[in-house]
Amino acid sequence: MKKLLVLLLLAVVGYSLYKPLSQVEFGADRIGDIENPTTVGAYYLSHTPSDLSVANVITAIVVNYRGFDTLGEVSVLFLAATGIGSILYRRRKEGEHSETITQPSSQLLQAGAKLIYPAILVLGAYVFIHGHLTPGGGFQGGAIIATGFLLMMMSYKDFHMNHTVLTWVESLAGITFVSVGIGGLIVGKTFLENFLAIGTLNDLFSGGIIPIIYIAVGFKVAAELAGVLDTLLSIKEK
Amino acid sequence: MMEILEYIGLAMVLIGGLFLFLGALGIYRMPDVYNRLQAGTKASTMGAMSVIMGVGFIEPDWFFKSLIIVVFIAIANPLSSHALARGAYRASLTPFMKKKMDAYEKEFQQKKED
Repeated sequence: MKKLLVLLLLAVVGYSLYKPLSQVEFGADRIGDIENPTTVGAYYLSHTPSDLSVANVITAIVVNYRGFDTLGEVSVLFLAATGIGSILYRRRKEGEHSETITQPSSQLLQAGAKLIYPAILVLGAYVFIHGHLTPGGGFQGGAIIATGFLLMMMSYKDFHMNHTVLTWVESLAGITFVSVGIGGLIVGKTFLENFLAIGTLNDLFSGGIIPIIYIAVGFKVAAELAGVLDTLLSIKEK
Repeated sequence: MMEILEYIGLAMVLIGGLFLFLGALGIYRMPDVYNRLQAGTKASTMGAMSVIMGVGFIEPDWFFKSLIIVVFIAIANPLSSHALARGAYRASLTPFMKKKMDAYEKEFQQKKED
């Protein structure tokens, strides 16, 4: 009886998936004419360069057209980091730092990590500063920076993130995002409205609030991921 | 002049492609982790460096950029293979011909005692 019910349910789900998808023509041009847009995708493609002067259309959609959604994503990430921290973090005595890495890494790795670490940080900063011009953005750049910190944590036993600094960076970045949004509400009509001058296409200082928000997101993601990695690496297994 | 540079670049891309192919073959053919690591990373370091440098010769505007990438590969690739091999040894994966030769064992045991 139970199996029959499951089969029935699967059939219903399958039919309701099949019915709308079967009407979509395979390989059809669903974006349409970009010059005279009739669909949402074509609208974004045709209006992003002229309205926002942002070369990377995906960034324009993520940060400007649905910036509120990105604010939600950032807060989801924040909640995840807080959750992991609250599960794994325990109060330590002064100066104590428990370790999962028992043996030190080789001298070669330590020297090499010192060489590569600044380059990784610069690359991450480049990726999120140029988020509106080239592929990438705040989330990607933040993740790259966190990998740089991970490299240092794994090479040096006594390399640890300062959690007070991380908390400050994270909070300031979040406040920047929200206050830029409220600025849009004050100057213009809606939350996260693009109220700054948009500049010319392909300039570093263009796109209004988009680079500011993406730089804030980059700092926030980097701080959160680095904090999570540091907490994960310093649990003591018993 | 430009044509000579282009031919040099194309030759370097060809050599790099060959090395990458040999590296892939090595990963398929070799018996254990260390040999595969050797084939994979050595060949791919040389192959990738040669291909990227060749691209720099074909497009002289990109020469400086490709030089930076090559330097990065020259640092990062051997380093990561070293870390992988060391991690594998520590995880007590025995080398294929351990009985004949294992130079690292002495040092490893000594470090353990320290």
